[in-house]
Amino acid sequence: MRAPAWVPFAFLAPALAGLLIFRATPIGISLIGGLFGTSLTGETVFRGFGNYAALVQDGEFWNSVRVTLLFNLVINPLQVAAAFGLAMLTAKPGRFVGLFRTAYFVPITVSIALTSVLWNILLDPGMGPVQALLRALDIPAQPFFRGQGQALGTIIAIASWRGIGYWMFFMLAGLATIPRESYEAAALDGAGPWQRTRYITLPLMRRTFAFVLIADTAANFLLFAPVYIITNGGPNGATSLLMFAAYKTAFTYLDQGRSLAISTVILVIIALVALVEFRFVRTEDAP
Amino acid sequence: MSITRRGFAAVAGAAALLRTTAARAETVLKQIWIGWPDEQIRPMVEAFEKSAPDIKAPYERIPFAELSHALEVRLGARTPEPDIYSCDSPLTASYAIRNQAMALDDVLDRTRFARAALDAATYKGKLYSAPFATSSQLLFYNRALFRQAGVEPPAADVSKRWTWDQVVQAGRKLADPAKNQWGLILEQAERPYQLLPFGQSLGGVALGEDGLKAGGYLDGPAFVEGFSFLQRLYTDFKIAPPGVVDNNITPDLFGTGRTAMFIGGTWNLDTFPAKYKDLDFGVAPHPYFAQGKPVTPTGSWHFAVNPRTQNRDAAARFIRFMTSDDLQVMWFGLRPYVPVLLSTWDRLPQVFDTPAWRIVRYEVSNTAVPRPATPGFLEFEDLLRQTLRDLQSGGDVKQMLTQTAQKIDRELQKYKS
Repeated sequence: MRAPAWVPFAFLAPALAGLLIFRATPIGISLIGGLFGTSLTGETVFRGFGNYAALVQDGEFWNSVRVTLLFNLVINPLQVAAAFGLAMLTAKPGRFVGLFRTAYFVPITVSIALTSVLWNILLDPGMGPVQALLRALDIPAQPFFRGQGQALGTIIAIASWRGIGYWMFFMLAGLATIPRESYEAAALDGAGPWQRTRYITLPLMRRTFAFVLIADTAANFLLFAPVYIITNGGPNGATSLLMFAAYKTAFTYLDQGRSLAISTVILVIIALVALVEFRFVRTEDAP
Repeated sequence: MSITRRGFAAVAGAAALLRTTAARAETVLKQIWIGWPDEQIRPMVEAFEKSAPDIKAPYERIPFAELSHALEVRLGARTPEPDIYSCDSPLTASYAIRNQAMALDDVLDRTRFARAALDAATYKGKLYSAPFATSSQLLFYNRALFRQAGVEPPAADVSKRWTWDQVVQAGRKLADPAKNQWGLILEQAERPYQLLPFGQSLGGVALGEDGLKAGGYLDGPAFVEGFSFLQRLYTDFKIAPPGVVDNNITPDLFGTGRTAMFIGGTWNLDTFPAKYKDLDFGVAPHPYFAQGKPVTPTGSWHFAVNPRTQNRDAAARFIRFMTSDDLQVMWFGLRPYVPVLLSTWDRLPQVFDTPAWRIVRYEVSNTAVPRPATPGFLEFEDLLRQTLRDLQSGGDVKQMLTQTAQKIDRELQKYKS
């Protein structure tokens, strides 16, 4: 018996509805809204590409673009490499493997907002316990979030502290799909551990890498909480990620249209970066 | 964008209609309060509900750090809710110009209020917020730490007001940065509210041309000199801990003896003895620059009414109740802000005839300078606040202020018409 043609769509409906409501609609709002502005009393006015023209001349915006690209250029390869490394270390069954896997995974259960509050206290330049530790080790006090040269790096560190364990699990799942026979055959042919990793693990992990890299990139481009909670974009714009710039433009500068134009720019950048990443990790059978 | 807003308003409107038919007998008046401790708000709201049995007055509290942004989101939806919200007094013009606050001239009797509070509530000649509290700042000092260091503490006398140089001299004897022991902390160490006097004391005006121009004002010589001195408290004299800007933490540094001096609001007069039983503190007037004149911060929390409220009558009753003579005395007992009503000073002679309040009374009528009156205060404050935080860790103050002024001017552009 064959089901009517609409049945698959009925099953897909909840997911499609979610996609439509939570992805397509906001994208549509930001694409269209970026062409409009809001007057002080709330009326909508058409601005065409005026918002974008203003952004092009806005030094603060370009600083945010620069900071966002730098941030992603560091954090994404770092997280993917570290997640893969941890997955390799914990892939083989062993005595304390469960313990280590759990330990690496635990930080993800702390919300990003709480992570920010927690590390902000831990790294506080005046009273943070980490400073006390540094003092005990005769290392001079570090500004961390308050230092222009350290703030972005510190955000990368705390976001990775939370994120790496999460992506590690995807890597572990990917490793589990590699057939054992491939390794055995290679071992019989005399391939060492390094060669097995280079010629078997990495090529067969391409799809996993593609997923982790692209999903991680999208997540990191949208990172917001640590900037909002800890640095407010400072010091001197050092952590002014685009996502935060969009928020600030809407709710501090009271310019909805410009904010939505920034959101659209983020969207375009993510799409472009994802395209490049797809090419980079392309396999014959994957898109 | 416009579609969603209209759609949202339609849904909210329908919901409001349902509610009015369902609960005709009872008006529900929703308020958003600045996040003071609940035990300081609840008694006042309960007293209001008792005086107005036909009104239910549910409220929510939003922390200081989030309030202004949260209100942008809530008011930005342009629905009838909340009916009433806590309005930072310098934001009155911002809410008024954007039609987020209702004129209250027929609700309040102007003659009952202190002049400065009325000024802060007025935009283009009309009252757009109801003064509920105002403020002043005092220099608090830890008697025990001063005794240990052999430093003579400042006098509780406005004619013997310390200069900033005296604060630095004392601070250097009291501070030991290596041991995380400090001379001075400012309660709101990144807020223009507390820090503008550094420039104002030297004759500076933060915004010119009807509050719509920062360039040439905020980066003029007075603010460059004043804020350079502020920076040196952290980088050069090293009497204040850089980067400690959370106003939930700064009073604790003083309360626990980590810092010997603290410049903060009058509300601390009650919370310090309650929270730190062993703390032996004295108060003195806010310091000033010898080459300038004494200037102290002022202004505080008002109430504003959402112009779209469907409970105008109840809102007016709420505002009148909260600014009534009796309620203001009760409020002072709950949290000692500087009173906005002239009557409060006379009704509590035993309180106000004390050293701290004698100083405050002098400050509010002689040295208090309000924050700049500008419809763009939200933008002004946020941009300047970031700079004031940044300069604590070094940097060229003149250059930082010029950049900040440029950013502020760009955002103020939209109010010029």
